[in-house]
Amino acid sequence: MKLQPIYIFLAISVVGLLFAWANTPKISTYEIVAKESQNSNDDYDKMMDVLTHPRCMNCHPSDHIPKQGDDSHPHYFGMARGEDDHGFEATNCNTCHQSENNLNSGVPGAPHWALAPASMAWEGLTRAEIAERLLDKSTNGNRSHKELVEHMTEDDLVLWAWEPGIHANGEQRTLPPVSKEDFKKAVENWFANGAVIPSK
Amino acid sequence: MADKENGSKKVSRRKFLVRGGLGTIGVVAIGAYIFRNPIRRELLGFANSVEAPFTDNTDRPMVWFEVTANNEILLHSPKMEMGQGTFTGIAQMAADELSVSMSQIKVVHAASSTGNVDSFATGGSTSISGLWKPLRELAAMLRVMLIKEAALKMDIGSDELLVKDGVISGNGKMLTYAQAAEGVENWEVPDVPALKDKKDYKYIGQPVPRVDLDAKVYGDPIFGMDAEMSDMLYGAVVRPTKIGSTFVSADTSAAENMPGVVKIIVEEDFVGVVASSMLEAEKAKDAIVVTWDSYNSLDTSTIKKMMTVGNGNSTTIQKNGEAFREDDDFESLEFRSPIGAHAQIEPNGVVASVEGDSAIIKISTQVVSITRKEVAKRLNLDTEKVNIVPTYLGGGFGRRLHTPHAVQAAVMSKAVGKPVKYFFSRKEEFQHDMFRPPTHHVIKGKLNSEGYLDTLEHEFVSGDVATDSALIPNALTNVLGADVGAIRGGFIQYTAIPNFKTVYWHVVLPFATSWWRSLGLLANTFVMESFIDEMAIKASKNAVDFRLQQIGEEPIDIRLKNVIKAAAKKANYHEEVVNGRAMGFAASIDANTPCAQVAEVSIVANEIKVHKVTVALDPGLAVNPDQIRAQCEGCVIMGMSAVLYEQMFVEDGELIPTIYGPYQMALMKNAPKVIDVVLLQGKDTPGAVGEPPLGPIGAAIANAVRRLTGERLTELPLKISRASKL
Amino acid sequence: MEISLTVNGVLKTVAVTDVNTPLLWIVRDTLGLKGTKFGCGKAACGACTLHVDGEAVRSCSFPVKFAEGKEVTTIEGLGNRDNPHPVQQAWIAEIVPQCGYCQPGFMMATAALLNKVPNPTDEDIDKNIINVCRCGTYYRMRKAIHKAADLQLNRESNESKEL
Repeated sequence: MKLQPIYIFLAISVVGLLFAWANTPKISTYEIVAKESQNSNDDYDKMMDVLTHPRCMNCHPSDHIPKQGDDSHPHYFGMARGEDDHGFEATNCNTCHQSENNLNSGVPGAPHWALAPASMAWEGLTRAEIAERLLDKSTNGNRSHKELVEHMTEDDLVLWAWEPGIHANGEQRTLPPVSKEDFKKAVENWFANGAVIPSK
Repeated sequence: MADKENGSKKVSRRKFLVRGGLGTIGVVAIGAYIFRNPIRRELLGFANSVEAPFTDNTDRPMVWFEVTANNEILLHSPKMEMGQGTFTGIAQMAADELSVSMSQIKVVHAASSTGNVDSFATGGSTSISGLWKPLRELAAMLRVMLIKEAALKMDIGSDELLVKDGVISGNGKMLTYAQAAEGVENWEVPDVPALKDKKDYKYIGQPVPRVDLDAKVYGDPIFGMDAEMSDMLYGAVVRPTKIGSTFVSADTSAAENMPGVVKIIVEEDFVGVVASSMLEAEKAKDAIVVTWDSYNSLDTSTIKKMMTVGNGNSTTIQKNGEAFREDDDFESLEFRSPIGAHAQIEPNGVVASVEGDSAIIKISTQVVSITRKEVAKRLNLDTEKVNIVPTYLGGGFGRRLHTPHAVQAAVMSKAVGKPVKYFFSRKEEFQHDMFRPPTHHVIKGKLNSEGYLDTLEHEFVSGDVATDSALIPNALTNVLGADVGAIRGGFIQYTAIPNFKTVYWHVVLPFATSWWRSLGLLANTFVMESFIDEMAIKASKNAVDFRLQQIGEEPIDIRLKNVIKAAAKKANYHEEVVNGRAMGFAASIDANTPCAQVAEVSIVANEIKVHKVTVALDPGLAVNPDQIRAQCEGCVIMGMSAVLYEQMFVEDGELIPTIYGPYQMALMKNAPKVIDVVLLQGKDTPGAVGEPPLGPIGAAIANAVRRLTGERLTELPLKISRASKL
Repeated sequence: MEISLTVNGVLKTVAVTDVNTPLLWIVRDTLGLKGTKFGCGKAACGACTLHVDGEAVRSCSFPVKFAEGKEVTTIEGLGNRDNPHPVQQAWIAEIVPQCGYCQPGFMMATAALLNKVPNPTDEDIDKNIINVCRCGTYYRMRKAIHKAADLQLNRESNESKEL
């Protein structure tokens, strides 16, 4: 006997919905569960698509070495975190990086250019692990959800990802896969909806 | 050999003139030194074992020395100062024969219209060795001339006069050189006097500080990039990014109205733009749309395939005894070296002014005479009317043996009627370098029953070095059948081996390759000395003893053995791994200068770390031992940079990378903390210094890695394989 | 537009058509101080290193507008033949330069290092001095950096004795 595709689809949907329901106990109705769940994941995914993009991840290293380029190679010339996330004593981020992109040299820049603190090392982590670190005050710079939203939607260095300037060879740096406006909305929605980290 | 033939009789008195007052109150001594044509030398010998002589312009006399009113000697150097310390060495040589103090000698680059300029080049580690005899003879002649005038003025016999620090004295009277020279119109030119005995040298042999030290520490504007002319404009030239592009057409409409643009120049072979500032010229350049007829797409693997032994034409450049037979049982290894960039920090640049029928070109160049001829030819000027004014070089390394940018700047200057300054961007430097050619090598050896080599064969393929360069006529390459640059270091020095053979294969690459400091030496010695080390291991012999047993008994062989012994002794060479470190040994002869090195190496974080390098070098008489040490240190570091990190790639027909960083080079952290240099003097005249120490470093490091990890590295840049990572 | 900045202790006002012009070219071409070198224009080689308010900056990648009101020091202002900086004294004592082109950048980077770390270890030097030298003078430079630190510390202790 052949099972109609529609039944297979329904069966999967029901299982999926039950699964979602089981994981969101506060939500009481079938309809809302489905909608909220979908949106929540969508916001989370968009946010994570950005956070895991090289424009963001290159400055959240796990080995204290900033990365460069879409291949995330180690920063040339042996630059590293140093004592205060700004490189070494005399040769630091600001030796080359200023508060805005340099279109002559191709050196990127933004206000308070620096590595994210070591506690915010995301490189090599799963999306869920990144989200956990993001929400954990002990690893996020003691930020509340409100402060996190502000940081992620207003900070010049975060938003630099959408105006990353040109490489030394004159070519544009690639942008994160989600637009700046969509990212901001996604971050706001995700936090507004309780900053739930979907399970795998 | 050279010494026998360039004795004092070679100084032509007909060409030796003296005249007074060229811009100074003192005197100008003018002379030309006739020297032997290098092409007449035994051809392959010139290429490989003998220091090339100094070759001057013999068409007319020009300035060597000026005596200034404040009793200083201006020495117009026919050789360029590019860091190798030539100015200091020749100042020492002149000071001793002139009996002046070092502080009284000022060295300047001879300009082509006023000075005696080398008709060949500054390169090949020949400056001090080539000038050793002629410069001292000229200085001694000037001393005799000045004493003679002083004798007349003071009415004392020349024989009764003594000279010290440029002051001539006798019978209680004294005159400075400047006073002696003042007012003299008709000079009597003497025969070449006897040169001083070595024990009477005050400066030769001493580690006197560089004469350009202050200028370089206080930031004086001495380089080509610093040159200016009044009312100067800036030029830029559009260059293709793809290999093999030829110019088809240019759309200059967008650039024409851009701010600052003065003129756009479309020539048959280039498109240039002149603007009032460098940044405006660069921006306008970027707005010019040029159509190029480009090469089909090439990549690194295509180039590697081309560069394979068996491709192209071959020449046997050395042969002794019998070659391998097909059924022989032998060890064989293949090696490769990549495309290397010069990466000198000062970009190629020039300021040109063409006015009427004459031109002035300020430029950092290694080829003053060739630049002059090229500019004159393109602009249809009388060569005599082109004055090349050389500056200090912000690194030469062979890159500045090609100066077509001087021609382009001159064309642009003529087009706008003003001086034009033009220099390369860093991307242009990397994509339009005259690269060190990639090479491929097959080397085979067979041990005899005593565990020494019975037969050794090295076949290698290289792109052009000397071939198709402005310096060496292709006729010479055709006569030799081999590229005199590519075969540097390709000669087997273990001549006690009964049977050996070296075969050179020539492949023409689709991009320009040429002189890179030490030429073929870097790759050829890496290969030969790696293989010798491998055979020593196979024979279970100490690598130093293995080498010593297979070197001949000629004078150069004795000198080679001596540097090998000296390096091994100084480094306390051994073949055990101690505290994670191992030693590697290698030796070479280049331009008649033998060099041996011991590298002490460990593996740190999966990378090769060089802790210490011991160098033994026999450059003959050491005019300035400190600068010879500096050259050894520099060669070790530049060499380890080349063998550990550097390589150019070809991707979609483009040479990449185009910036430092991606083009990885040795930094401070990579340089050995200790470089021990032992100098030997195996002959009593100065020999080549600036390149020979680049020979052994590659194999010395690779041989140390072999002892550490068991892995024989056969490709530059050296990277330990995953299996060997500790 | 006009930019005012202090260069080697002297207040300068320069007219610029583009405020993003690299400070390097203002220093070299407008002010005629050629000791600061152009090597790559991409902040990669360090030949253009100078100080802005005492900090090492790669001037090929530093728009002149950011120098407004600031103190700029170039190799010409670091010291001179009559009054050399300890770094310059050490460079002379160790006969460091070969071709010399990269040396001003290295000396400026070293002077900035000694301001922050008066007695740097080899590791401090390796981390902070990351300019590029093609002649391979690193070996002598390392010796000169240690010597410069000694000279500067001695100079300071002599000065404090005099007080």
